[in-house]
Amino acid sequence: MEVLSNLALGFSHALTLSNLAYCALGCCVGTLIGLLPGMGPLATISLLLPLTYSLPLDGSLIMLAGIYYGAQYGDNVSAITMKMPHAASIVACIDGYQMTLKGKTGLALFAAGVSSFIGGTVAIVVLSTLAEPLANVALLFSPADYCALMVLGFCCVSYVSTGGSMLGGFAMALVGVLLGQIGTDLNSGAERFTWDQPFLVDGVGLISVALGCFGIAEITKNLDNKNTFTPFTGQIKLIPSWPEFKRIIPSALRGSIIGSFLGLLPGGGPTLAQFGAYAAEKRFSKYRDEIGHGAIEGVAGQAAADEAAARTSFIPLMSIGIPENAVMALMMAAFIVKGVKPGPGMINEHPALFWALVASMWVGNCFLLLLNVPLVRYLLSIFKVPFSVLFPSILFFCCVGTFSHQNNLEEIYITAVFGVIGYLFLRLRLEAAPLMLGFILGPMLEEYFRRALLLSRGSFATFVTHPVSGTIFAFIGAFLLYKLAATLASARRRKGTPLSAVSGH
Amino acid sequence: MGNVQVLRSVALLAFALLFGWQALRLNLGTLSNAGPGLFPLIVSGLLGLVAAIMMIEARFEQASVANFNLRNIAVVFAGLAGFALIAHWSVIPATIFLVFVSSLAGSDYSVLRCAKISAALIAIAAGFRYGLGLNLRLY
Repeated sequence: MEVLSNLALGFSHALTLSNLAYCALGCCVGTLIGLLPGMGPLATISLLLPLTYSLPLDGSLIMLAGIYYGAQYGDNVSAITMKMPHAASIVACIDGYQMTLKGKTGLALFAAGVSSFIGGTVAIVVLSTLAEPLANVALLFSPADYCALMVLGFCCVSYVSTGGSMLGGFAMALVGVLLGQIGTDLNSGAERFTWDQPFLVDGVGLISVALGCFGIAEITKNLDNKNTFTPFTGQIKLIPSWPEFKRIIPSALRGSIIGSFLGLLPGGGPTLAQFGAYAAEKRFSKYRDEIGHGAIEGVAGQAAADEAAARTSFIPLMSIGIPENAVMALMMAAFIVKGVKPGPGMINEHPALFWALVASMWVGNCFLLLLNVPLVRYLLSIFKVPFSVLFPSILFFCCVGTFSHQNNLEEIYITAVFGVIGYLFLRLRLEAAPLMLGFILGPMLEEYFRRALLLSRGSFATFVTHPVSGTIFAFIGAFLLYKLAATLASARRRKGTPLSAVSGH
Repeated sequence: MGNVQVLRSVALLAFALLFGWQALRLNLGTLSNAGPGLFPLIVSGLLGLVAAIMMIEARFEQASVANFNLRNIAVVFAGLAGFALIAHWSVIPATIFLVFVSSLAGSDYSVLRCAKISAALIAIAAGFRYGLGLNLRLY
């Protein structure tokens, strides 16, 4: 029953007029920007992060969370209506767009909206029961264990975001860690990697890296593609018939449970959850033969999983203090800017904040349902604005956002440079998401690494002898060996085919 | 324009060497009492290792060609850098510069449209200045 009284405390904070307004604003703005081509949740959050700096603590975090799941949902809408996939909504493009082609856009959007609501609600139950016990476990972790957890996070994010070819993603995480080293070393005061430039002494700003790699690089990619999407003009008939409605519920519940679980894993979160839920629907749904050709289940399951995972992925961040993916890494940065250190102590130190955030997620759920089901046709009118008007404006907001971070115009140069770097990485098919995670976790990883070695008097054995870190490193090692064996096997198989067919020149 | 797999492993290796070389010039300390250079040195060593493995892997993989369109990113970069430079003096010409230059990367160009966008964005900048108290220099 403690949970109920905690939730009551949370709602009493979340339902104040100002927090309601922040939540609604976050959901609206997040959905609108998330709808735009090339603007996934990561780009949306990094663009809007500076806006929240000036707000009060709970308001800013509530708004950011709203922006996040709003952007997540906006992605879904643009995937269903126009087949514009972002990393976060590839699955929605399959059945959702098929339904649009059949003229059932309204039904698809309704299914996605209602399932998201169900997914979000289930996830909040998980969040409010699991976060505290997990935080108590996390209190027992040693510095070596934290190092192991972070390395595990890098591996998992690399694996998930590169679709199986881990090396490139892991390399990007390491690049991120190195970029995070730029600036003054907190222990010794020595300047590192500043190349004698005064503006690098405080390090590279998070906003610059995020906006450069996700905002500017993505926009330029869209420009390269000449971005010719046709705005959605079809009819939207929202209210489903009763038999159609009945088909949504079981899929949504299955999706919620799968999503809640996959949202907890390192490297997990919405992307993984969608694929998991979609695969489950294909296997267990009563209508599995229709999936892939525009079935309600194909939309409902993944939408529920998407929203559920978006919320449960807050659990590792708030109870252990380690973000499991790049979006959560940005969230962690926002927490720290506001003077809150996410981790085992957070729930005890800031109970009102924690429970207000949980409660506001459910409030945000209601806003999203309202925003996306009855009002969706007005949202879609944003696509009447051509891209050639949008992108200079987005660039302008990138500049203002960077500037507002520290009232410093020099940072815009850094953002621009990271735009170029991010673009080159994009073209070299190196994922920027692991880089973001590495960049934010890098300083923490170094601190725990130094502390672990200090405690063990310089012996690396500490990483293996601690039960938690030992298990995690053994797991990583086993996985790497497996990958290596698989790579060697496929290389040997390919050697059998004539070499001229394999290499292009 | 070159093989993606080879290009990226070379880029990553160069990055590792650059940071590793810089880390060597810092105080390394001992393992039990690490100096500022130790951790970056280990990370760049690891990155170099990964890049080397990727380079070997590239020999076995099917080559795919990198397609850079340097014009668009250069135009966007020029727009942003120009904005930062001019905004020291005033945001109004900086915004006009950003919109007119970066629009060159779009598929069609219209002076009238750029003028309209600039006007709207300047109005927004003024809103930030007077509404939210953002320290933008308008004139």
